[in-house]
Amino acid sequence: MKIALFIPCLVNQMVPEVGIATLELLEKLGHQVILPAGQTCCGQPMTNSGCFNEAKKTTLKLLNAFKGVECDAIVCPAASCLVAAKENFHEFDDSPEAQAVIEKLYELTEFLHDVAPIPAFSKPFPHKISLQMSCHGIRMLELATPSEQMGPRMNKFEAVLAAIPQIDIVYPDRQDECCGFGGTFAVDEGAVSAKMGKDKAQAHAATGAKYAVGFDPSCLLHIDGMVRRQKLPIETRHIAQIINAAL
Amino acid sequence: MSTSTSNVHAHKAEIFCRDESRVDWHSKALWALREKRDRAAGSIPEWEQLRQIGSEMKLHTLTHLAEYLEEFEQNCIKNDIKVHWAKDGAEHNRIVHEILAKHQVKKIVKSKSMLTEECHMNPYLEERGIEVIDTDLGERIIQLAKMPPSHIVVPAIHMKKEEVGDLFHQKLGTDAGASDPLYLTRAARRHLREQFLSADAAMTGVNMAIADKGAVVVCTNEGNADMGANLPKLQLHSMGIDKVVPDLDSAAVLLRTLARNATGQPITTYSSFYRGPQDGGEMHVIIVDNGRTDMLKDKILAESLKCIRCGGCLNTCPVYRRSGGYSYNYTIPGPIGIAVGAQHDDTNSIAWACTLCGSCSYVCPTKVPLDKIIHHHRRLKAEAGKLPYGKSSYMPLVGKFMASETALNCSMAMARTALKILPGSLLKPFSGAWGKYRELPVAPNSSFEAWFKKNRG
Repeated sequence: MKIALFIPCLVNQMVPEVGIATLELLEKLGHQVILPAGQTCCGQPMTNSGCFNEAKKTTLKLLNAFKGVECDAIVCPAASCLVAAKENFHEFDDSPEAQAVIEKLYELTEFLHDVAPIPAFSKPFPHKISLQMSCHGIRMLELATPSEQMGPRMNKFEAVLAAIPQIDIVYPDRQDECCGFGGTFAVDEGAVSAKMGKDKAQAHAATGAKYAVGFDPSCLLHIDGMVRRQKLPIETRHIAQIINAAL
Repeated sequence: MSTSTSNVHAHKAEIFCRDESRVDWHSKALWALREKRDRAAGSIPEWEQLRQIGSEMKLHTLTHLAEYLEEFEQNCIKNDIKVHWAKDGAEHNRIVHEILAKHQVKKIVKSKSMLTEECHMNPYLEERGIEVIDTDLGERIIQLAKMPPSHIVVPAIHMKKEEVGDLFHQKLGTDAGASDPLYLTRAARRHLREQFLSADAAMTGVNMAIADKGAVVVCTNEGNADMGANLPKLQLHSMGIDKVVPDLDSAAVLLRTLARNATGQPITTYSSFYRGPQDGGEMHVIIVDNGRTDMLKDKILAESLKCIRCGGCLNTCPVYRRSGGYSYNYTIPGPIGIAVGAQHDDTNSIAWACTLCGSCSYVCPTKVPLDKIIHHHRRLKAEAGKLPYGKSSYMPLVGKFMASETALNCSMAMARTALKILPGSLLKPFSGAWGKYRELPVAPNSSFEAWFKKNRG
């Protein structure tokens, strides 16, 4: 398939290794990958704060970067940015061109589970990993059944990773409780955000896993900051990095 | 945040967070309720259907509210119940006082009513010489401590048993240092029994008002509403206009989810239906608007009126559990407190006391889209020029920044360099608040875009 990468500002500027792993794994799977120019931010920091006026220009800039780009899918390695982009594109532009972009948007896990599954992994990943079930991916993108919901359960995140030979998947206590990042919440509500992050980092470390693995770089950045502040024996990794290492 | 900084959520929450062991204790106690709720909800195969039916039924009632309220009133009148209408809290309090004054009531026993808290009824009546005794154990505890509730279902959840022991020792004369819950409960029971026997009137909240029967439903675990309503001849029930449901079947749906979602019980110990006065007595129902009609005008905010006050959203909320009920600057805390209280919040901060994680919306037994409502409140506040935490000064800047590749690339390149050479110096206000509690990110050498150009360009 021909895939356009949607690389949110946080990934681009602060965790390029997540972008690189995403690109490499998609290429290893035989896809043609392009990076449309002119992407900055999905507008989430502004719309999450209620500031829709301030978000408009940024959102439309991102949307324009994808309008008319020839591809089969637009893939993003950050769930909450993906959700925000979808919602914000829709909010600010109701044209058929915008709709065409929205319909091609996929979060990486979702893409690998629903659209182009990985046929086989070539290398084992003989480590214990603790899954970081970030809120927007779970509850807005339906990557897994939220713990609050009753009835049949599904988990695309686990399903994709479980196919890797020798991987050992565990979960922290309070499996899908928010890590407390919440965009500007992390700075506006520093004390509560930090306490949530601390609890989450400790819950991941308590599993004895080598890595806390997630699909949302912003949550991982927060947890990483708490892990290092408390000197916990665990590291954070993005799902793209784990998959790329096993292909 | 100019005039009332100390009431700003983040500030109050920070104070609460200073005692970390207490935060852990508070968080754990409420999470235990969430776990009980999960077990109770999971024990019913049709749980998700019940949520769906509950949601649709409440929405239906809210969109035909006038008809159902009139039907309820007419059936109440047929049952010899006196019905009063109050447009706001002040009118509610005046009506209650008139009824009590007419009967020369000196003492009233009250049970389970967040609405009377919302109307600030207790001080109103007390100023007029009427003693008001809250009779739920938790509510009596906080009343004796002269505190408002910190949770809508377990109002004294923030107090440890030792603190209750001290309070009871001072107020009820229990043994000094005694903190055994059974001992304290028995002491409270003796004390409350005296109150029930000496009260001239009883008042309760209303969990549901059944339109086609002209009856009100009151749920308690301690039977105190029933003790109250059945002893004195005069009984009053205060309800918001949103409490009406069409019929018994509708009430049955909500009764199946209410207690399960609140405490994990299959049903509240006492779910009592009152549909008329005692022989020779009087029964009054006061139907209160107090801003609810205004909320109905906004399609998104209207959905918050589907709430049945189980408290499930508070128990699951990671922010509420770590910031406490008193940080919200409103009678009702937590996600539902933000949904129904943000417009009354003069600090304009509680709408932002939320990470938008969405757990509350999934836990809700009537599918109130709490995270969407909270998000909507932020937009309404922003449009009204009421942003908290200095957001009005930095948000336009962030907006400009993010819309410009040059500005973003240059500043972030600087930030990466700064992170490498001078940790802690990242762009304000980010580094200060972030770096206070966390290590700053390890900076990469270049952006992904630059790497891509170099390696794939």
